Amino acid sequence: MELDLTAVDYVQVAVTDKKCMKILPNNDKRRVTQKVVVGDKSGVLQCFGMKKRELNSIFKLLPGPPVSKLELGGALGTPQDKIFASCGSEVRGYSRKGKKFLDFNSNLTEPISNLCISGSDLVVAGLYICNYFCDCVDQGYYLSNDRINDIICLPVNRRDEDRLVSVLACNDRILRILEATALKYELEVPGPPQCVVPFKDTGGEEGMELVYGTTDGKVGHVMLNNEQPEYKWEIVNEKNLGGISCLTHHDITGDGVPDLLVGRDDGTVEIFSYDIAEEPVLRFAHNFKESITAIQGGVVGSLGFDEVVVSTYAGWVSGLTTEHMQKKVTSSSIPGNTNSANTQPADMDEDTQKKITNLRSEVEALQISVESERGRHMEQTSKAIANNSSTLTRPAAFHINDKFVLSPVDASYHLSIEVQTAIDHVVLQSDVPVDLLDKEETSAVVAYTSIPPPTPDSSGDDNFLLATYRCQSNTTRLEMKVRSIEGQFGHLQAYVIPLLKPKSCVVRRYPIKPLSLHQRTHDFDEQRPMNVLHLSGPFSVAEIHSWVAFCLPDVPERPPAGDTVNLYFANTFLDTQLACIYSKGEGIFRSDNISTISILKDMLTKEATAKKINLNIQYEVSDDSIAYTLQLLHPKLDKQLMLAKKVQLLDALQELQVHEGSMDFLAPEYREILAEADKIKAEFKKQPARLERLYGMITDLFIDKHKFKGVNVKQKVPQLLETLDNYELPALIDFFHQSVY
Amino acid sequence: MLVPIFTLKIKHKIHPRMVTVGKYDGLHPCLTCGTTASKVFVHNPHSQAIAGGRLAIHDSDISLLSINQSVSAVCAGLLDTTKNRDALCIGTQTNLLAYDVHDNKDLFYKEVPDGVNSLVIGKMPNVDKPLVVAGGNCTLQGFDDTGEDVFWTVTGDVVSSLTFADFTNDGSNELLVGSEDYDIRVFHGDEIIAEMTETEAITGLCSISGSRFGYALANGTVGVYDRTARYWRIKSKNQVMTVHSFDLDGDGVPELITGWSNGKIDARSNATGEIIFKDNMTSAVAGMVDADYRLDGKDQLICCSVDGEVRGYQSDRSRIRVVDANKATTDMRDLNLSKQNLLLELQNYEREKEPLKANQLTSSEKIEGGIIPVNTSLNTNLTINTKGRPHIELIVSTTNETIVRMVVIFAEGLFDGESHIVHPASSALSNQIRIPLYPVKDTLVELHIQAFVSLPGSCNFHVFEVTNVLPVFSSYLYDMSLTKEPESYVTFAVNERMQRIGIWMNENFLLTNEIPCDAFIDAKFLALRGGEIIIKMTESGQVTIKTDNIDLAGEVIQSLAAFLRLEDLQVTAHFPMHLERLGEIMNTVDNLHAVNQKLAAEMTDHSNLIRSLVVRAEDARLQDDISNMRKGYVELQDLNRELISGYHVRSTNHQELVKSLKVVNQIIQKASQLRVGKFQTQVVSQCREAIKNSQVTALFKIIRAGSA
Repeated sequence: MELDLTAVDYVQVAVTDKKCMKILPNNDKRRVTQKVVVGDKSGVLQCFGMKKRELNSIFKLLPGPPVSKLELGGALGTPQDKIFASCGSEVRGYSRKGKKFLDFNSNLTEPISNLCISGSDLVVAGLYICNYFCDCVDQGYYLSNDRINDIICLPVNRRDEDRLVSVLACNDRILRILEATALKYELEVPGPPQCVVPFKDTGGEEGMELVYGTTDGKVGHVMLNNEQPEYKWEIVNEKNLGGISCLTHHDITGDGVPDLLVGRDDGTVEIFSYDIAEEPVLRFAHNFKESITAIQGGVVGSLGFDEVVVSTYAGWVSGLTTEHMQKKVTSSSIPGNTNSANTQPADMDEDTQKKITNLRSEVEALQISVESERGRHMEQTSKAIANNSSTLTRPAAFHINDKFVLSPVDASYHLSIEVQTAIDHVVLQSDVPVDLLDKEETSAVVAYTSIPPPTPDSSGDDNFLLATYRCQSNTTRLEMKVRSIEGQFGHLQAYVIPLLKPKSCVVRRYPIKPLSLHQRTHDFDEQRPMNVLHLSGPFSVAEIHSWVAFCLPDVPERPPAGDTVNLYFANTFLDTQLACIYSKGEGIFRSDNISTISILKDMLTKEATAKKINLNIQYEVSDDSIAYTLQLLHPKLDKQLMLAKKVQLLDALQELQVHEGSMDFLAPEYREILAEADKIKAEFKKQPARLERLYGMITDLFIDKHKFKGVNVKQKVPQLLETLDNYELPALIDFFHQSVY
Repeated sequence: MLVPIFTLKIKHKIHPRMVTVGKYDGLHPCLTCGTTASKVFVHNPHSQAIAGGRLAIHDSDISLLSINQSVSAVCAGLLDTTKNRDALCIGTQTNLLAYDVHDNKDLFYKEVPDGVNSLVIGKMPNVDKPLVVAGGNCTLQGFDDTGEDVFWTVTGDVVSSLTFADFTNDGSNELLVGSEDYDIRVFHGDEIIAEMTETEAITGLCSISGSRFGYALANGTVGVYDRTARYWRIKSKNQVMTVHSFDLDGDGVPELITGWSNGKIDARSNATGEIIFKDNMTSAVAGMVDADYRLDGKDQLICCSVDGEVRGYQSDRSRIRVVDANKATTDMRDLNLSKQNLLLELQNYEREKEPLKANQLTSSEKIEGGIIPVNTSLNTNLTINTKGRPHIELIVSTTNETIVRMVVIFAEGLFDGESHIVHPASSALSNQIRIPLYPVKDTLVELHIQAFVSLPGSCNFHVFEVTNVLPVFSSYLYDMSLTKEPESYVTFAVNERMQRIGIWMNENFLLTNEIPCDAFIDAKFLALRGGEIIIKMTESGQVTIKTDNIDLAGEVIQSLAAFLRLEDLQVTAHFPMHLERLGEIMNTVDNLHAVNQKLAAEMTDHSNLIRSLVVRAEDARLQDDISNMRKGYVELQDLNRELISGYHVRSTNHQELVKSLKVVNQIIQKASQLRVGKFQTQVVSQCREAIKNSQVTALFKIIRAGSA
């Protein structure tokens, strides 16, 4: 990681949406810095460049409807420097000087959330429908099975005779390749793709190579050969960073090969360069502490220095430049000069000093006007109360950017809340038993309210968790981890209260599904022994689909097209699998985990009863599946037990070490524990209560297995736990197979 | 970023809060820390130590002291002014050891039955020699260099932190005592001159400069007091391990340095609490001291982590500058953020300018937008509800059809955490929420109430903020229908108008109407936590407070004395139940002492026996007499078992003793709380005298009448 980049802030605009910032290409022959164009949620589209470190505005349009996407385009074969912005259902085109040349209403019912331009072809998409226009004439549409997250058009350097190919990144973990509006084929990726870009900006040699980024933080490379995709590398999210929000390529290292620039939800920016085998190697990482909405590469700050330009959710346009600014600042401070009398540090260069003073006076002026407005508002309100007036009032409005994502690495949900202004506090409430886990990075002070046991006269308030997160000053982003238990379902609610006067609050609801730890997947291992649940009855596809959507995450709202729906899931904690195949009047669910089937059975019957639909339920329980699942659990359990044992021994061993001085008399395994002390502790700290969770799941497995045979084995649970404490896989399997009569 | 000027890796764990530094030879500072296996290590990089006695040389620089009891506090300082050498004081749960590291001998070894939780060395007024003060269970004990205890007093609860500071700015030091009952008490000699109530157990105290001192609480709060006024405080989710003061930026004003459980070290300006420097250690900070560790004439701040990492920082202006350069960027960010906040607020006012008429919007629009009538106002009311378990009830309600979705109360010392949430089920929403409050202590609490108001079904809420005050004696219900009169009482005379007492009652109790106080006062209160209290005043100014709760009586008297600005107050106290209890406990203590002595004698016998058995068994082994050897060792094993069971008896006996002593100390403290000013200190010193001479009857008399 020899890259050394310096962060610089350029300008702050209003809240920005994804992909709303671009760097204009230089078509001038003169050597000038590139211009940045950015559109925000207040509808302002502006273009600026940097001149001697001063912001030089090229144009700035008046506020309007929020800008949802920004793209560059132009006639094929010419520089792509026309600016296209989508607001609501309209697409507007501007020249690089800010002159509007296109005002096109797509007449779509949903607002445009994705936009792609290639020559005179325009692809716009709402949440599910993708429309294709040529010279602003409607050419047809495509209806996607799940939400469309991103669209790009291929090939990048399209010639007139090339047909337009567009790639839709859809939430059901599929990249859909369209030729005009016809689906050519579907391509499975390991997570819900959030963004997709052509490989190395050009799409590789064939022009058909893609790089995608997923919501769970993976980046991958795939090559589209005729009909058959070829998967290249994949960067897994080992450090459990945020989801990928934007990708691009730019040669930052200056070696002639474009580098991959990655922007994430949690504010991390990473730069990967490609080695000889075209595998990405991490070269640089920086955290902006606000989620990144767009990332670009270019020469913006000063000539001759390539930089990464990002826009963040709160509207900052910042750069990571190869130019060393900090050097200039620090070199003027002479080390050892401790007697210098001036209290104001002289090493802050004058420009910055001036900027800060300007800003400070600006803020002060604002403060005064706010103060007077505040007074007026108070007066108005008290007058209204006195007059008993019938007028109404709105709460203060603010934008929230929130995410609730299952992280497969530790099988827990990551909740992130970001507000455009500083957060005062967040109140979390849940009507399902969930655990809140501490995140090292979060500095907020957490306070739990103890929930009184429900008394007979009050039926309880449906609260299992009540907690406040009081943020330290100037926090705009809050992250927390939530661990759920399968089989328990309900909602987690976050009441967000920003530091705004008058105080207002917005509540966000996040469903916790009965099979909350499951994740959509495309692979299904047919070889495993399976338990089968077979449903039949007078229900429609839409009905059973809604039941499945109620039970499992990652299921699209509407049933996918076709008579039969095939969905596969994997349990992120246990690695067991589930296949759902259903059509009108029939549903088959297969899983190697009997608990999964048990939960599904309970939920589906409950839902069907609520709809007064008579279900015919059959199930086949495979005894082999128990042994198989336990075998699957074995390495995890074994590892956790070993770890717990080592941690237990550690303190005693360390005390011995102090007493005896030398450790040579100890058995090698103990010496090993001592040598790896730090590692063991860190690992143990990383996954608190993992063992308890495993125990819980094995207990569920045991109860569910016997439940299908109509036996209640609650009284045998202590015996099971005893067996677990002296854990041996064969003994455990035997215990499961013992008859309980 | 300030970089440490030296880092050391000591291969020993360091127990939190057990770090000190002393010049044991009068010249070279040595870092001294409590470590695992009941040992204390002395890091001496400058001169060679000599092994022997308690000392064992471990590495070249490290010598280990074996204490054979788990160490609970360490402190080094000058005790013997004639010697100019620091003594090392080590506290355990039962003893205090003062040790001369240089000569490798014990200065004194004293039994301290109340345990030693905290140690500090310094000068007390009225005592010529420096003292080592040990804070234990409710007691403070000061020893001079010969081991004589020349200072003794009681305090409210287990002492959790101690420091010397010039609280009154008069050039002589006061002793600041933080205890687990959330109080910081200031002792000038054995007189309490000030008392501040915080919101959690006080885990750290440090003098900064003059009357300023820093404090840390168990809930992650650090802050600075100047005398009794709090300057600032901040709270973090991490635990404060230690606080210290050091002038890190070289501007002549010391900063408050805090070491955190996550390894963070930060230095904050003592005037504003603004961070001027921070660094991270790899594990929790164990302690911080300052000393001239490099022997270059400048003091360094030395920070130790629990894993034995030691870093030294020197105050240096030029290095701090670099931080300033980075600060410009953060300043810009912060300013921009506040600018955005203000702009957003303006925007919202702009939008509000056009009054919304009710008929402009459909009802669903109203719900979606979180719109409520302008004339909505919020009422809060504090009452006492005696239904079920009696409690204080806070009623939060709106005036119209809007609902209160949720109420969040931020208050310190009232709940487990800093906040309390009431979130009714969505089916049970109305325009009113009743919140039961169960204060466990009688203190003034500010309730910062936030009510989330909207029309039913909305996802946007107006947040109404109200601050209510829960008076000190809010958990006492005025109830004249009470018939039972408590047996115990205190009585005293005040020279005050009746109405003044009436005002005091109105301010400090939660009353629905004023208590009549024309010719005399007779007010009966039912305590929500059980029991009752009756406050009477006759025309002649004789005040009687009847309650079986001696704590409560003390608190009422202290509150009343503060209100009436009484400097001294002597009372007659009649607490037969407490005295009876005290008598019983004194008996138990005597018994326990006797048992202890017997057990100690037994143990000595056993250890002699062991010695001979070992010799015999080893002799047998050398003579290849295996059967005799085995016999010897079997006997040894039996004896060992007996010793262990003996130990268990001793340890329970000891626990019992500590508990009893704590109760005795607490009763003395409570008796002193019934008096004000000089009579308060008089009770403590005379009680101590009586206990020392085991005059139980005198003790009773002092508690009753305030003097012997």
